[in-house]
Amino acid sequence: MSIDNTGLSGALSSQSTGPAPLDPKPVPPADSVVKRPPGPWVMLWKKFSRNPFAMGGLIVLLFFIIIAFLAPLLTPYDPAAIDLMNANLGPGATDHLLGTDELGRDIFARLLYSARISLLIGFSVALASVVIGSVIGAISGYFGGWVDTVFMRIVDVMSSVPTLFLNILVMAIFGTQIKYMILILALTSWMSIARLVRGNFLQLREMQYVEAAKAIGVSNWDIIFRHLLRNASFPIIVNATLMVGGAILSESALSYLGLGIQAPATSWGLMLSNAQEFMLIDPLQALYPGLCILVVVLAVNFIGDGIRDALDPRQQGIKSRRRLDKWRKTYSKSEN
Amino acid sequence: MTEYLIRRIAQSVVVIFLITIVTFLLIHAAPGGPTQMMLSPGLTPEVMEQQAKNLGLDKPLPVQYLKWVGGLLQGDLGYTFKNHLPIGELIWPRIGKTFILMGSAWLVSILIAIPWGIYNSTKVYGLSDQTASFISYLGFAMPTFWFGIMLQQYFSLKLDWFPLSDMYSRGHEGEIGDLFMHLVLPVTVLSLGFLASYMKYARASMLEVLDQDYIRTARAKGVVERKVVFRHALRNALIPIITLLGMDLPILVGGAVLTENVFNWPGMGRWYVEMAISREYSVLMAITIVTAVMVVIGNLLADILYSVVDPRVKLGKQGGKTA
Repeated sequence: MSIDNTGLSGALSSQSTGPAPLDPKPVPPADSVVKRPPGPWVMLWKKFSRNPFAMGGLIVLLFFIIIAFLAPLLTPYDPAAIDLMNANLGPGATDHLLGTDELGRDIFARLLYSARISLLIGFSVALASVVIGSVIGAISGYFGGWVDTVFMRIVDVMSSVPTLFLNILVMAIFGTQIKYMILILALTSWMSIARLVRGNFLQLREMQYVEAAKAIGVSNWDIIFRHLLRNASFPIIVNATLMVGGAILSESALSYLGLGIQAPATSWGLMLSNAQEFMLIDPLQALYPGLCILVVVLAVNFIGDGIRDALDPRQQGIKSRRRLDKWRKTYSKSEN
Repeated sequence: MTEYLIRRIAQSVVVIFLITIVTFLLIHAAPGGPTQMMLSPGLTPEVMEQQAKNLGLDKPLPVQYLKWVGGLLQGDLGYTFKNHLPIGELIWPRIGKTFILMGSAWLVSILIAIPWGIYNSTKVYGLSDQTASFISYLGFAMPTFWFGIMLQQYFSLKLDWFPLSDMYSRGHEGEIGDLFMHLVLPVTVLSLGFLASYMKYARASMLEVLDQDYIRTARAKGVVERKVVFRHALRNALIPIITLLGMDLPILVGGAVLTENVFNWPGMGRWYVEMAISREYSVLMAITIVTAVMVVIGNLLADILYSVVDPRVKLGKQGGKTA
């Protein structure tokens, strides 16, 4: 989640004011007199940063991204190194922070390296579904007619296939590789974005600036991808954020079933399936990976909800909502 | 109505037909195809060819596909590669077992979620509402299988209140009491997932109705708040809730893959994973088709239900779903 205020808001406002100066130096004097209203990204950030849950989620997610990147610096152990002499150590027993599993692998190291896999899959699946979904939704909504009918039937069929069953089927047939997992998770989750973008485009294509663009000879391709898609970007972002959490959950589920990440690689789901076998020996082992999944997915969902609330003009934050509620209560009491 | 139904059923048939093609192609796109998996390795090429011929795998793909679909139409789901058992006879008992598990979880979650969601809609942002929304967040973010493992560790290994896994204890097959004890933990796990979405949905649906003009009118006329909620609002709020429940019907048949695996429940989901790992393609194809048919039928039922509950909905007319 990168929120690059100056760059993006500059790029967005350039639609109306021509090439926006990214550098503060060449700003024309007129701009400094009449204060320009903040761009949509700045507005979004302002509302978003006031939401404690969303900010909490963002901080937690950034934390996990950082530890995923810095994993080799944070632990001296190799997550795949088997050390049968030191198997099933409890937490803090030796210099293994959270102990070791049944093969003597360091649990803390495995947790760190698993974060890489989960985040990689979460973000690439979301990105891939956004690409597939917006292209299909955009073409469908913009052109309408039989193209629309065909694409929407495909969406219907894809939505009526039970997702987990299809994922298991594909992983079993093609073999358990990360690229296949990303591909199949994306192929089974792009439909909601396609529906959303299509709905947006049905409205947007009637706009006068589209007519104007057509009149001066802008190609359909440019209208779709340079003018319209940009206007549909906020709802796409919300949907994509929530998709990251879903993909992380699906990855852990597939790995847990033995149809996802395979040893010597590690993933939280895979760790859970090991831990369940040795539940009697070390009950704590199953706790950590599940907590990691829960916290990351919660964080991502909070961020997604935060963006959605920030975009919704009716939502003025929980605080003012509460104040309104209080006011209503006292008001109705005085009536009685 | 009849015309609409015919059109919807025709559409459903097309969707199912497409799903059979996709499933078939997927299986045959596998590296090596089903042939390699089906035949025992280490045979001489001549014997392999002979075996392939016996199983009908030497024919061109369209012919194989037509043979398979022809069988499906006559209710023949095919045979397992190993031991050559009829899939149809294997599948139905498992569907039944999954149905017991999912049906209980579904009922429990409806009975809790809908009254609670309705109550919360009358006290927005109260303590109960905040608790419910906390539970919803957990339900959406928690890996179900992890929740299951945690329950197992605490309630069966540590406290020994409930059995760890399986459907019946050994020697107690068919006893209702034993079944009930085995159901408690998996049903808790499954209910959390259902609860999260149903509660949120019931609350949102009620809030939408409570915001409408006729509710304001009723209040303005001095109708008691309890009557406003139950007589005026609830009836209309239930319509979308019932539709959602209808859409979830197919989950009752195939939806518990993870929970069944955690609790070793002998239903469809666990069977599917077992068959996927041992690459029993014909079983995978059969289960996929059966579930897909259930999904399509469930959606169709939900649509019909919608028009039955809500007399304003005129099916088949353009824009008929407006109030």
